[in-house]
Amino acid sequence: MIDLIGKRLVALVAVLFGLAVIVFVLQAVIPSDPARAMVGASASPEAVAAKAHELGYDKPLPERFTDYLGRTASGDLQSSLRTRNAVTEDLRTFAPATLELALSASVLAVMIGVGLALLLAAGGRSARVLRLVLVAGASVPGFLVALLAILVFYSGLHILPAGGRVTDTLVLPDGPTGMLLFDALVAGDPGVFGSALAHLILPAFTLALVPALAIARTLATTLQQTMREDYVRTARAKGLRERVILLRHGLRNSAGPALTMGGLQFGLLLAGIVVVEQIFSWPGLGLYLNQSIAFSDFPAITGTTLLLGTAYVVVNFCVDVAQAAADPRIRTV
Amino acid sequence: MTRWISAVAVAVAVTLAGCGSTEKKSTSATSDVLRIPYLADMSVPDPDVFYDVEGNSVILNQYEGLLKYADNSTKIVGALADSWTVSPDRLTYTFKLHPGVKFHSGAPLTSKSVKAAFERRLDVDNAPAYMLKPVKSMSTPDDLTFVVTLKSPVNPFEAYMASSWGPKIIGPDAIKTHAGKDFGQKWLATHGDGTGPYKLTGFERGRQYTLTRNDDYWGTKANFKTVLIKITPDIGTQRLQLQNGDLDAVVKSFPASELETLPDDVVVQKKDSNLRLLLYVNPNKAPFDDPAVRAGLRATIDVDQYAAEAYAGTATKSVGAYPEALLADQPTLPYKVDDAAAKAAAARASTKKITLAYTADESGVQRRVGELLQAKLKTAGYDVTLREVQLPDTYGYVKHLKTAPDLMLQTNTPDAAHPDTWARIVYYSTGGLNFFGYNDKQVDSKLDAALDAPEAEATKLYQEVGRRVIDSDAFFFLGNVKDVFVLRDDLEGVTSTPEYPWTIWYAPLKRAGT
Repeated sequence: MIDLIGKRLVALVAVLFGLAVIVFVLQAVIPSDPARAMVGASASPEAVAAKAHELGYDKPLPERFTDYLGRTASGDLQSSLRTRNAVTEDLRTFAPATLELALSASVLAVMIGVGLALLLAAGGRSARVLRLVLVAGASVPGFLVALLAILVFYSGLHILPAGGRVTDTLVLPDGPTGMLLFDALVAGDPGVFGSALAHLILPAFTLALVPALAIARTLATTLQQTMREDYVRTARAKGLRERVILLRHGLRNSAGPALTMGGLQFGLLLAGIVVVEQIFSWPGLGLYLNQSIAFSDFPAITGTTLLLGTAYVVVNFCVDVAQAAADPRIRTV
Repeated sequence: MTRWISAVAVAVAVTLAGCGSTEKKSTSATSDVLRIPYLADMSVPDPDVFYDVEGNSVILNQYEGLLKYADNSTKIVGALADSWTVSPDRLTYTFKLHPGVKFHSGAPLTSKSVKAAFERRLDVDNAPAYMLKPVKSMSTPDDLTFVVTLKSPVNPFEAYMASSWGPKIIGPDAIKTHAGKDFGQKWLATHGDGTGPYKLTGFERGRQYTLTRNDDYWGTKANFKTVLIKITPDIGTQRLQLQNGDLDAVVKSFPASELETLPDDVVVQKKDSNLRLLLYVNPNKAPFDDPAVRAGLRATIDVDQYAAEAYAGTATKSVGAYPEALLADQPTLPYKVDDAAAKAAAARASTKKITLAYTADESGVQRRVGELLQAKLKTAGYDVTLREVQLPDTYGYVKHLKTAPDLMLQTNTPDAAHPDTWARIVYYSTGGLNFFGYNDKQVDSKLDAALDAPEAEATKLYQEVGRRVIDSDAFFFLGNVKDVFVLRDDLEGVTSTPEYPWTIWYAPLKRAGT
């Protein structure tokens, strides 16, 4: 197990290094002029040059690259060209909203995925109908699902809000996590909790749709195979009820591939967050990244990319460890 | 199991309570809160750093300068200055301040606070500082008199003072109490201390900014107690929230094509602005390094079509090389659609493959103009690739002229209603909005001469610059873009200023019947 953890940690560092290099190359290739963008159209050439010098954009590319790597490795992500804050400070501001949304969407994806897989494994018409609905939903681009959801539940039925994290007149609890559901619970504020939950439903569901279906398909297929195994037959012969066999034996022994799929889907979920946060006015990293791209704010783009990349790698690392814990054969891989 | 059912029931009840806000369609319509969306966060609410468009209303409703533009006009009038005089040598400006003005912190406005605010702008030395670079000295003969002496005459100096990005008088809370080591920049990134009708009482990046009525305001007090600026990046979501009554107005980037399909309780107001849609031509590479090929572009420009089809009546035909309000008797534009002439010029082109870029905008109008232009250019014989680009990327083109696009559409506005503030950034060889490095030494020297020339002579020089620019075919002027405000029909008192793009004054706004 320690070997496995060691190998995955090395892979994590390699992936982050690769991401850092890609972001730097993009920055070097795109012919933007952040110094001019900062000092404005009316600034003299001398003022632009001075700002470029201050930001280090006038150095040779190799020197900029080593500076950049050194700074990034030491956790200095520089200041945002747009907000003028340290990027680490901005990330602390925006990350809790994304974390709350991603966690909620992940939980929702697992709940829907596992539920649907169990229904499919058990057979029946309702499961097939539900799968058809989800397949249809998952085959539509995320932004269209989001817009459709807003049209139906906000504009049409008036039962859910169109955007934001909470009703605009509410005062937010100054909680420890920045995740409103948790902080509102801690603060004992049912108004904020209810509003936060209502605001979370549509974006979380939009994000969860595709991963849920992927998990359901993978788990259902594995479950169907597992339910044909000898030990399941033995369990049936011993008179155990089908539901107990499915939940106690089938589900646990089929979880491996679904876990892997869940880890992979988490990456897609993070990619979807950029679009979903934009449409639902969700003040998280996706919105921050989108605004930073429009401003060619490379320190902010780099910081957000590295953070989201780290989240992806860490989740997959956890999945690997969970799989290894569940199946000792994997530990030698 | 019972516990689970109870927990679910409580969760559903609480969620439905949270959903309540969506059902009260008339909540905003009956409350004392005005809700306005922004498409993106503003950079910082610090008037000495801020130099964008998104965020103008937060600055202008909170801070005031010495001068301003009158409502719906480009006439300069006093703001914090009741009156001002200019010495005959045009070097000394004497401003008489309005008495009894207080900052949001409660401190009184004096000439010393004005001087401190001007000095701060120079100390911070960010983008808007250029407007005070010509200042030689400042003095405060008494509490209500502020005197500025320039190094040499600067014709647009009064326009600078009235500019949206001109010097704003920031109070002692930032300049003294929270100055720190960065002239109060850290504090002003989330706070404010102006003299305007609204105070900044909340700055939650990514979510919303809260402006609260300044009940001690020296002028006419605001009607709405609170203004919430909500960060709503998707224009489609903005439209739905406006229709549902969760927003009161959308003042930027509303798609022109959707104006005709709005419900009855939403109204549209179109106001004059100094926004201009320009087609930049890259004269540094083939095919448009050939003046005759560039001249052929004139025959493809169909400004009537852009105004009617892309802008759906929210733009008008440009008259000359400057926004109309900036310069009288401008040299006129010689554009006339002529397919045969366009084809003949295109036949001369050394390459037919060209790229037409347009800067990203939520309304989609520049893309639509791009498509119309693309069709005309294809008819002429060009193979046109249409490409969306981000605004900051365009600043880099001047360093990569050979790989930059051949043509680019962009909407710009001058910093102030003065021809110098337009020509110097767009046509001057080192201008910040001269993206393709247009370089005419005569234009540069005429602009430099006009900066301190007597008014009549300066006007003549600006007209000559306009003539040279039009004749160069390096820029085409495709339309005067209007400010389009889409509002709930119960909102009254909309006033704006052509020089302050996509900005409305919040103080005079009120609900019908209140």
